[in-house]
Amino acid sequence: MSTATAPAERGTSAPGSRSLAERLRGRNNEGVLALTILVLVLVMSLVNSDFFTVSTLFSILRNSLVEMVFALGVLIVIISGGIDVSFPVIGIFAGYTAIVLARNGDFDPGVIGALLIAIVVGSLLGLVNGGLVARFKLPTLIVTLGTQGIFRGVLLAYVGSKYIAELPQSLGALSTADLITHQHGSTTSRLHVFIIPVVLLCLAVHWLLQRTMFGRGVYALGGDSESARRAGFPVVRLQVLIYVLVGLLAGIAGIMHVTLSRNANPYELAGTELDIIAAVVLGGASILGGRGSVVGAVLGVLLIAVIKNSLILMGVPGTWQRVAVGVLLVVGVSIQALGARRRARRHTVELESAEV
Amino acid sequence: MSGLDALTRRFVGMAQGERSLVRLVGLALGVLILFSALSPNIFFSVINFQTIAFGVPEIGLLSLAVMVAMLTGGIDLSIVSVANLTALTTATLFAAFGATEATGGQAVLLTVLFVLAGLLVAVLAGLFNGFLVAVIGVTPILATLGTMQLYNGIAIVWTGGEALYGMPEAFLALGNNTVALLPISFVVFVLIAVALAVLINRTPLGTKLRLVGANPTAARFSGIDNRRVLLMTYVVTGLLAGGAGIIIASRSASASPDYGSSYLLLAIVVAILGGTNPFGGYGTVLGVVLATVTLQMVSSGFNIMRLSPFEYTIAQGLILVVVMVLDVAFNRRRTRAAAPPGGTGPAAPDPQDPTRPASATSAPVR
Repeated sequence: MSTATAPAERGTSAPGSRSLAERLRGRNNEGVLALTILVLVLVMSLVNSDFFTVSTLFSILRNSLVEMVFALGVLIVIISGGIDVSFPVIGIFAGYTAIVLARNGDFDPGVIGALLIAIVVGSLLGLVNGGLVARFKLPTLIVTLGTQGIFRGVLLAYVGSKYIAELPQSLGALSTADLITHQHGSTTSRLHVFIIPVVLLCLAVHWLLQRTMFGRGVYALGGDSESARRAGFPVVRLQVLIYVLVGLLAGIAGIMHVTLSRNANPYELAGTELDIIAAVVLGGASILGGRGSVVGAVLGVLLIAVIKNSLILMGVPGTWQRVAVGVLLVVGVSIQALGARRRARRHTVELESAEV
Repeated sequence: MSGLDALTRRFVGMAQGERSLVRLVGLALGVLILFSALSPNIFFSVINFQTIAFGVPEIGLLSLAVMVAMLTGGIDLSIVSVANLTALTTATLFAAFGATEATGGQAVLLTVLFVLAGLLVAVLAGLFNGFLVAVIGVTPILATLGTMQLYNGIAIVWTGGEALYGMPEAFLALGNNTVALLPISFVVFVLIAVALAVLINRTPLGTKLRLVGANPTAARFSGIDNRRVLLMTYVVTGLLAGGAGIIIASRSASASPDYGSSYLLLAIVVAILGGTNPFGGYGTVLGVVLATVTLQMVSSGFNIMRLSPFEYTIAQGLILVVVMVLDVAFNRRRTRAAAPPGGTGPAAPDPQDPTRPASATSAPVR
């Protein structure tokens, strides 16, 4: 979707069209990100003819489905000026618990039932985070570090620590449900049906952030919580809601992950939190709060997925993936920091000249 | 001012200002008494305390690294990656020079040389972190999030994800031998902790470090070169992490890119538990050491009580959250009882008596 705007941007870099160029660039450099992805795709297509195929596109999308839902939650919490490192654990907690409940009760909750269980569990765990953060005004990183340990411990000690190889039948059927199957020669590429809920969730969160009072509150809170309070935003309720929402999204991502991998493993997902935060930050969300967009977060997740995929196709050993992502992140945040510093300097100069 | 007077003031100041330290001693004693009562034969034994002492140095050094970064209001997420990179450097050098076969003075010399080479890598890694934070101006959490991946990636490429083995006895002694019942690594840890305490409390760099953390703007206007201080901060955290890497390698007789992946979060938990203010300006070496020992005792106690490691994870999280909640509840009561709001601005910590700066009274949301 956004890749369509990128070629236009290069065309409009001519003088005189600054406002359009700036609009295409996006408030959080989404345009630059889209351009980076586009250039990468072009280069890769020239280097390797296997890259520019439907099957590559589908596999990149499939690999980023779960991450994208997690990224939406992370985006909301980062815009609000906080950080959450407990969401992958909440996700696997919710997904695994749904499967365990179905197994122990010896019933098939159906897709909707399993989803509901995961959503309820995820929201409740999110409520714990939200309550601690909002009620006691604790630093969010520390709270979620603590609850992450508690949730993971409770999951493994009391819910279960066994690998479950078989899903309830309805989820098992869903795991192989494809939206599009594309036949090309001997290879069949499939696009999983989960792309629909993921796109819907992206649109919903975008709407929530841009068009509702809640979204305004999230941005206001991230800008300055004291100002938000004085402007009349119910800060405590907002914060509780934000963390419940993160838990809810994590619950959805968790049950999606379990379904896509066709088994339930309580040890999975934990440890991926920093990767997803990295993708969201790469997507232009400010870790200090107040800035960020769904488009940016989605592009951030896609960029990392495209790079990983390109490395594999170029025959670079898998061991280099982490280096590549690390370099990308270091360069990305450095460019952002330098840009912010330049803006700040220009701002100061303007202020000083105004005072004189 | 008479010496006695100053001494009294100092003790009263410590008792008031370092409440967290007093509370930590209480917590440590409580844990000690609880487990000793529950299991007098196994927990309260020389062997068990020795085991605990073997576990303390690596987590303690990593936690001290986090504490130093937090003193300046930052954080260092790359510590575990740096530790492994250091261990791999040393291990690779041992393998390359066939040092496993070396004996006597030659082995000791090679060990010292290669450990220093490993620590040099740690310093370089820290320097790059410092460059990103101080010169480029990247938020510490992001800069070190990136370098964490980068350093870990380099380590994986280096070994292909495998562990490296083959180290001389002289090196392994560091992590496995004891002097007068005390593990050598524990003695080394105590020496490093004392040196760090001197650096933070008795040198100009230490004072600057705390001032930059308490209020960067005020520090700049007092003529402190914030950039240089931040650069040095991350060199110190890198060095501490490197030390942890050496100890891990000598204890496990191997080096691997993915050792200690659970240590990062644990180190942050320990640093916070040790009374470090994550917003900068306040933290003590003693507090972090006490917190490390306490958590190691809990871990060992849980082991002896046959509780699962998962329940230990729960305990870690609960301790962290409960301590933070109690801290806030206590502070609220104190600020309510104290001077009316608005009148007290954030006071800079007195360099002579580093008690807690006023930043503890109203913590911002994040």
